[in-house]
Order: sequence, then structure tokens, then C-alpha cells
Amino acid sequence: MAKLKYERPFIKKMVAGMMNKFGTQNELTPVTHIDGIAVKALIEQYGSPVFVLSELKMRQNYRSALRAFSTRYPRVQFAWSYKTHYNNAVCNVFHQEGSWAEVVSGFEYKKALANGVPGSNIIFNGPDKHLDEIKLAIENDSLIHIDHFEELYLLLDACAHVDKKPRVAIRVNMDTGIYPIWDRFGFNYESGQAWQAINKIVESGKLQLAGLHAHIGTYMLSTTAYGIAASKLCDLALNCKKQLNTTIKYLDLGGGFPSSNTLKGAYGLVPTPSVDEFAEVITSTILNYGFKTEDIPLLILESGRVLIDDAGYLLGSVLANKKLSDGRKATIMDFGVNIMFTSFWFDHKISPAQEVSQFSEDTVLYGPLCMNIDVVRESVNLPLLNRGDHVVVHKVGAYNMTQWMQFIAMRPNIVLIDTNNNTHIIRKAETLEYLEQMEVMPDYLKKQSSH
Amino acid sequence: MKKWVKKIRPPVQALLNSYSLLFFSNNKLFGLLLILVSFFNPYAGIAGVMAAIVSIATAYISGLNRILINDGLYSYNAVIIGLGMGAMYNFSAAFWLLLFVIVIFSVILSVLLHNFLGKYRLPFLTIPFVLCFWLLMLVTKDFAAIDFTYRNIYWINDIYAMGDPYLLRFIMFMENMQMPSLLSAFFRSLSSLYFQNNLLAGMLIAGGMLIHSRIIFSLIILGFAAAYGFNLVVLAHPEGANDYLMGVNYILVSVAIGGFFTIPSLHTYLWVLFSVPITFLIVIGLGKLTGQWNLSVYSMPFSIITLCLLFFFSLKSQAGRIVLTAQQFYSPEKNLYNYLNNKERLSNIHTIRLHLPFIGKWMTSQGYDGNITHRGEWSKALDFIIVDGQLKTYDEFGLDPKNFYCFGKPVLAPADGFVTRVENHIDDNEIGCINQEQNWGNSIVIKHAEGLYTKISHLKKNSIKVGVNEFLKSGDIIASCGNSGRSPEPHLHFQVQATPYIGSKTLAYPLAHFIVEKNGKPEVMEYAVPGETDIVYRANPSHPLIEAFEFLPGYNLIVNAPQMPEGHWEVFTDAWNNSYIYCHNSKAIAYFSHSEEVFYFTSFEGDRNSLLYYFYLACYKVYLSVEPALPAYDKFPLRLNRGNPLQWLQDIVAPFVIFSRLHYRSLNKVESPNFLNPSISIESSQTGHFLFYKKTLRNFTVMVKDSRIRSFTFQKNNKNLIAICSPKDY
Repeated sequence: MAKLKYERPFIKKMVAGMMNKFGTQNELTPVTHIDGIAVKALIEQYGSPVFVLSELKMRQNYRSALRAFSTRYPRVQFAWSYKTHYNNAVCNVFHQEGSWAEVVSGFEYKKALANGVPGSNIIFNGPDKHLDEIKLAIENDSLIHIDHFEELYLLLDACAHVDKKPRVAIRVNMDTGIYPIWDRFGFNYESGQAWQAINKIVESGKLQLAGLHAHIGTYMLSTTAYGIAASKLCDLALNCKKQLNTTIKYLDLGGGFPSSNTLKGAYGLVPTPSVDEFAEVITSTILNYGFKTEDIPLLILESGRVLIDDAGYLLGSVLANKKLSDGRKATIMDFGVNIMFTSFWFDHKISPAQEVSQFSEDTVLYGPLCMNIDVVRESVNLPLLNRGDHVVVHKVGAYNMTQWMQFIAMRPNIVLIDTNNNTHIIRKAETLEYLEQMEVMPDYLKKQSSH
Repeated sequence: MKKWVKKIRPPVQALLNSYSLLFFSNNKLFGLLLILVSFFNPYAGIAGVMAAIVSIATAYISGLNRILINDGLYSYNAVIIGLGMGAMYNFSAAFWLLLFVIVIFSVILSVLLHNFLGKYRLPFLTIPFVLCFWLLMLVTKDFAAIDFTYRNIYWINDIYAMGDPYLLRFIMFMENMQMPSLLSAFFRSLSSLYFQNNLLAGMLIAGGMLIHSRIIFSLIILGFAAAYGFNLVVLAHPEGANDYLMGVNYILVSVAIGGFFTIPSLHTYLWVLFSVPITFLIVIGLGKLTGQWNLSVYSMPFSIITLCLLFFFSLKSQAGRIVLTAQQFYSPEKNLYNYLNNKERLSNIHTIRLHLPFIGKWMTSQGYDGNITHRGEWSKALDFIIVDGQLKTYDEFGLDPKNFYCFGKPVLAPADGFVTRVENHIDDNEIGCINQEQNWGNSIVIKHAEGLYTKISHLKKNSIKVGVNEFLKSGDIIASCGNSGRSPEPHLHFQVQATPYIGSKTLAYPLAHFIVEKNGKPEVMEYAVPGETDIVYRANPSHPLIEAFEFLPGYNLIVNAPQMPEGHWEVFTDAWNNSYIYCHNSKAIAYFSHSEEVFYFTSFEGDRNSLLYYFYLACYKVYLSVEPALPAYDKFPLRLNRGNPLQWLQDIVAPFVIFSRLHYRSLNKVESPNFLNPSISIESSQTGHFLFYKKTLRNFTVMVKDSRIRSFTFQKNNKNLIAICSPKDY
């Protein structure tokens, strides 16, 4: 007979009072496998912690989002948001599915080129485009989304000496009923700034105004806001046609669709609108706006999070359990906010990775850093875990692997499970050598051999 | 100089055609050969040419249709009259006067008969000649100034008189050549149409015919053999075959019925076997009658039997096995290949182009004659749904219609048309429930043409955006997919019907163009019906390609390639609303047709060394789409396949079996993926298939940039050439 698993004793507080409809959430169902591969095996092979990405889920998410739009609208194009996850393997999964690239910096731009994305299929966003990057984008015939007037002038200067007419769009910010308004990006619609920018571009004669871009926020829980954004872009586009005789070839509604994570402070499971619901509002707004059939603009979407968040898992292990001074249970994990930036925003779902007892208790989950801010979950109902037990953190695919810090601990492996359930390291765990690679030691500080 | 050539060209053409038309051809070289042969009897030759000139001049001066004049239609009867007169009478002033008068009369008869018989789509054949010649024969005996010649009997004396020993020796050699009497009878009867009885003339004519058309040649032999065989049985002429008895009637009937006025096939060949004996009877029977007045029957039996049979064929109420030649290329091969090719390619050209009534990829959940509800009178209907990668039709638990992928999705007008019926108020069902009282649920019926309606059903309540009598453009959004009526879960019902009611029975009618995904591989379907479980979607139109191939009337293009005459192309539309590109320099014509999805050439006429010809080959069929870019396949008419020795063999057996094919394939490729202004290349090829042997004959690349055709490459004499296309400036 196998040895029974040790279960430490615990005391559970009796909560008296009315039953409520939320119940108590606990994380008792263990997740032992990801895409058919045992968590234990993954940790054994790739260490702990380790990020695991499901290619199957990524492709399913992409196809599902594409279906939501392409069965409602005749011409749809997705552009993979590099900042969400710019690991080349991940980018190429989406490029294989047909995505263009949406980049917000010079290095992302070059990454996209190196990934084989044709220059004309790269959208260059962001408020900080350097002159040499702009020149590169002009050279490659990319879609440059202008963020401010200074950039517009920079662009006009840059194309003064080339005989190309760069294809540009302006980013438009607007009141969609969502606050805060992201009015720090692009040109404002209501104040007429956007129309002014459009006029300047068309009058310059040096730029080809191809599209209009809006990105009204992130993790948007309201679909109506997209309807308002789409109708304001349509209004600008039709005015371009009527007043400036310029056909707007595409509308870029940006990204910002939420994944199904739980925002901090939200009560239990707050339903987040599905991509279908966003698609319905956006496409019906544009199609009903009155474009002629041949002038219906291409609809571009720059979704990142909704396509990858739930394809990403973080596998980790328990380092220690302790009791806090106020009597709460605390568990220290081998991963923390250093590699899980999104734990500042979300109450990530965390599951045990092995069979557990049916008892659970309220626990504070800490990371391994010796910094007080390193709290993964302030309060999570977890079963009793021992040192060495594994957990699975869900929906960490977006932003974590671009915003992670190399601080105190190093960044771990990223493993991709392909659609045939084979695993591939797509980014190696960092080493001291890697860490010091860019360091330069001034001569006078070099260690003396004998002193 | 050039102007002079231009002016003299049409009458010369008319002259040559007058000769070649006698042997069912419009080949100029063959015409020239026939003129030469006619001069074997120099008197006949001179009179023939004079008759042709007089008739052509008469036709011009009378203001008859220039095209028909140039085809030789009004002058070929005159040629036979001239040949006959030259062979029969001695030249004199009276002779020429008579020739002049009778030839003009033959032109008048030709015009009258052409109009009279033309109403029944019948040819007038050699009736004018026979009538005129009978008239001549009846009256000339009374004219003292006209005397019969004996040259025909003593023609070798005439050759002696000319005194060229080589020529004489050659002719004597030919005349005394040992050959089976059957063969010599065959050649002599061929020459008899020219009022000659000359082996060499017959052999030259036979050779010319073989080069001109293998099918005609084989029909000549068939006609001759049939007549010979019939005689063997009935023993009308117990002495056997001789040229006098065989005559030319059987041969002409055989060609006319077997392959010239009909599309040659096994059935026309069988008809030849019937028509030759009946011609035989008419030759003898009519001869008995005309013999009373000392008249020969000439080619009258041929005209009678051909007219009878053609009229008989044209009166059938059903398209039978005999197909009459609609467009005459003056070659049975060309007629046949063109007919087969058009039948294969263009039989759907008048079909109303219906399209899938939705956006994006859907799946056919129930096809024609489906097991669920597509039964009986409503069997030719299609149901569509949307599925995910696991073929599931919904997400979450599928308890709410909203969870179904297709629910609420836009529904499009399948083609232009008027809305005739709308039902918009029926509630959408809960999942699993059906509404049998309002079976069709919310529906819309659209009229596309008389007797052609489409109906789309089970639409979402209050989603129909169009009203009765409203005109819809193909692709307009008209409603949303729903779950009303007899629909346990959301789906779209699409059917074609002949009557305008909701509930009308269905009509099998193909969709013009869609893409079907089989095992993940997309494939274009044209004039087809989606099958059950097919994933189907519309091709995404490429506006740059559509604009490049729009070719509106008046569009001008200058095309240049090294060592080739410049092409100056202009687009026209003719009285039958056929669009074509005409090259002002080479006079070549390429007819084309296009829709939203595909551009294709329907036929080419004229100079095969022109750039237009290569363009015709290069863009024989082009899909106007790059998403996805899929190959277009087509077949050329076999008549393009010249200069191949196997082709002769194919020609001979073509009425029975086709073993060679000329395939076409084109594929669009985006060269620069700039979606605003992509440059697109169209790579196409022509491949010959002979039994199991396959060979790529030609490759082409057409470049499209800035929504214009910029250039195309092609091969000529094993060299790669590039033709640059530029719009003509005014």
C-alpha cells in the first residue's frame, strides 16, 4: 500500500451568517496536465517556475476571433500585438495564422521584419518613433500610425528626400463613455484635432492617408464603447471621402478586448463580453454607416491579450508555509511579481497540480523576492499545500513575458506545447552569464590580481 | 503602295474564297491551288476567273454585304458557271456577253435564295449554278453565235499544240499512270466539279483537301465508298465504277451532311451512309427527267438532298444527336473543336450568377436531397451553419440561440433582384423547439429574373432590412441568420424556386462561384452546388485585378514587344453585346467575358502572330481574386494545337474520340503584399496532353500593378519575350 500523503492539521474558522449567492471560491480541482502533458513532468524537465504556452489554444483563440469577425464583415485583418508577447515563436504562430504585425517600437519593428513579415504588413504604432525607424518604415512601405503633430512633421521631413509616398493613418482618441479617456494617445476627435491632422496630411500631398486608428483602452468590459469608436471613425472616413476626396482604405479598431481573467476588486466571476459581442457591435456599426460596397474599409484589429492570455500558464512550486502574525496562513511560492507582472491587475486563478485534500483554507500567496510588494494573491482559498507541491497559475499568456523583471530571481524557461503535444523551449532560462553580458567594467575597477 | 494593297485585298480575298468555298473551305492557299487546277483547262480557267470577277464586281456595285462578298458567298456559283461555260463553248463575243448576263443573274439568284433560305437557316448551295446552267443549256442550242467545243475530247491535242515536251510527258505520265480503277475514278470525280476529267487535277484537289481538313478528306472517301458500295448491290451501272457515274454529288453530300453543316460525329457519319444511297436514287431519277431535255443533273441532287436533310435536322423539337453548325469556321475540325470547347466552357454563360448568401466560412449542414427535411418537392435546398475547428456549432452549452456561431450573422443578397415577399415577425425558437405552423419562419424571396427566385428562411425576428419591391444589389446585407420557423437550432435555409411564394417548391440551380474547403484545402467551384458538410465561402474580390481586367468599351492599349509588330488594342462591344478586344494593326479579335470573379476569353479570330493572340492565350481564364489565390483551370479548343503530327491523327478520329487535350492553368500571385496597391503576377501555362504524354507548351506571366496590366511575357520561337502594355494617350 502506498504511503498516505501527509496532511498537516488545520483549524477552520466557522463563518455564521446568511448564505450568499457568491458562495466561496476555492481552487480544489487539481490541474495535473496541460495539453495532455503532466505538470510534474514539465517541471522535472524544465525546472520550476516555468511558463508554458499552448499553441493549440493560441490557434483556437485566433480562429475563433477571426471567425467572429470574418463571418460578419467581408474584409478583416488581425495584426499581432507584439508588446503583448514578442517571443518570436509566439509571433510566428500568429503570423502563420495570417496575422500582420503591430509594433510600438523600433526593436519590435525589426523583430517583425526578421520574422518574415512583409514591411507592408507591419503597423507601426506608438508615441516614440525615432527618425531612423520612421525612415526604415517608409523604406519598407509600412503603415505608420501618427500619434502627434511633432511626429507628423518628423514624417514630412523624413519623406521629403524619398520619392515614396508613405502610407499613414492617424490615431484618434475620443469620448466613448469610458473613463479615463485615453486622450494622451493620438489626436482628439471631439475637439476637431483629428480632422485638423487629417487635413494637414492630405494637404501636404506627401503622405497617403490610408487609414484611421483608434485604441480606446485596455481590458474593456463595454461593447458599446467600441460601437461609439467605430461610428466616430466612420464619420471621419466618410468626411474624408466627401470633403477631401480621399478614400479611407482601412479602419483599425485597435485591441483592448478582455480575456476572462478576474480583475482585482471584482466579485467572483464577472462576465466579460466575448469577442463575438465586440465583433457584432463593431461590424454592424461600420456596415450600417453607409459606405458604398466597393469602399467598405478593411477592418484591422490589433488584439493581443484575448488571443493569448488563456494559452499561457505559469507552473511553480511551494517553497514554504508560514503563519502570519494575525493568524492568516501564508504560502511562499518560487514565482512572484518579478515574472508575473499581471498579478498587480488580476486575481489570477491558481490550481494545485496534484491530488489534494478536500479541505481548503484562506491563504496569502507570496513570491520569493525579499521585497514586501511581492504578493501574488492577497487572499486565495487553496487546499493545504506542502513544500515541493506544484501549482498552475492560469491565464498569464499576455504581457507577463514582456513585462517581466530580472530582479532578484532570473527569468525562467518558456515552453511551448505544440499542436502534436510536443514540448519546445522557446526561451531559455536566464543565466548569470546572460545577465552580465551587457555589463562593462571600467578598467580602474577591475579586480587586481595582487594588491 | 500600302493604300493600294489595302484596296485590292478584299476583292482578291473574295476571288480566292469563291474557289475554295466550292470545296467547303475559306483557305486562301487552297483557293489559289484550285484556281491553278482550273487552268488545266485554260479556257475553263479563264472563263471561271472572268465569271468570278464579274460576279464580285456586280455584288460590290449592288451594295451587297461586304463581309459576305469577301467570303465569296455571292460569287462561287458564278465560278462554276464560268468553268462550265469555258469547258463547253468556244470563246466568242457572244460567249462573253452570255457569260456576263448569266453571271449577273446568278448573283441575283444567290442573293434571293440566300435571303429566302436564310430564314430557315439553310444554305443555297449550288442551286443558282444549276438553274442558270440548265437555262443556258436549254437556250444556247438556238443561238447560232454560240458553238459547243470539242476541246474536252481532244484536250491532249491542245497540249501538243502548246508544244512543251516536258509538260506533255508529265501529263501523259499522269494520265497513263497505273492505278486501281477505283482510285482513278475517285480522282476523276473530284475533278469533275471543275468540268474536268483529269487525274492530276483530282489528285491536287485531294491533296489540298487533306491539308485543309482531315475530316473533309475522310468524308470524301466515305461518300465515294458508299456510292460505290451501293452500286455494287443494286447494280445500277453493272460496268462498275467510272468517273462519269460516280460524279461529285456523293462526295459533296457526304461532306455537307457528315461534317460541314453539322458538327461531325458518329451519327453524322451514319447519316452519310443513308444520304449517299438516296442521292444515288435522285441522281438517276432526276437524270431521267432532265434527260428528256438533254440536261445533266449537275450538282442538283446534292443541293436537294442536303437541303432536305438540313431542314429535317433543324425541325427537331429536342436537341438530338445531330448538331447543326452554328458558327461556321469553314473547317469541320474547327467547327467540332470549337463546339466541344464551347459546350464544356460556356454552356453556363447565360446562367444567372447566384452567390453564397453570407460572409465568411460556413458549412453546408444539409445539401440537396438531404435526409432531414430536404425531401420531395423541397429537396433542392441548402442549409448552412457555422462551425468551429471541432465542428461544433456553438460555444458554451448551446442552450441559447445566441451561443450558436451563425445566429445573428449577416445574410446577403445572392444576386441582383427585387424583393417580392418578406416575412419578418415570427419569434425565434428556443433551442430544440420548432414552429411547424409557420414552417419557413422569417423569410425573404428575391426575384432575379422571370421564373427565377431565391428564398432565404429561418431569419432572425425583425432583422430583415429590406421591403417588398426594393431593388437589391448582389452582396447587400438584407437580414440576420435566425432560428424562426421549423428550425430547432439556428441555421440558414437557401433555395432557388420558379415561383414567388414562401413555400414554393425548389429548383436545382447552381451557384456561380464559390470556394470549398476539402480537407483544409481550398478549391474553386464554378456552376456547382455545395455538397453536405462542405465548408464554403465566397472568394474575396481583388479590386486591382477587377480594375485591370475591366476592359470597358473604348479602352485603348498600346502593346510592344521586341521583333513583334506593335499592337494597338481597343475594346468594343458588338450588336449582340459581346465584348471584344480588337487590334487595329493586326485586325485580330479576341472576344471576352467577365464577372466579379473571373475574366475569360471566349474566342479568338485572326492573326496568330499578333500580340493579342499571345495575350489571349495568357489570360484565357483569370480569377479576379488573390485571397485565396487558387489556380484556374480551363481547356483550349484543339484547333489551337497546330503543327503537331499527332494532331492529324486526332483530326481524323475526332468525330468519334478525342484523345488529346490542351489544358490551361493560371495562378495569381501577390508579388508585393501592399494591400492598398499590390502588384500581382498571373502565371499561366498551356499544356498539351496526348494520351499519356504530357508537355508544357507555353508559359506566360502577366504583371498587374496600380490596377493596370503592365506587361506579359510569352515564348515565341523558343525565345522569351516581354510585351509592355501602356495606355494610349490622346
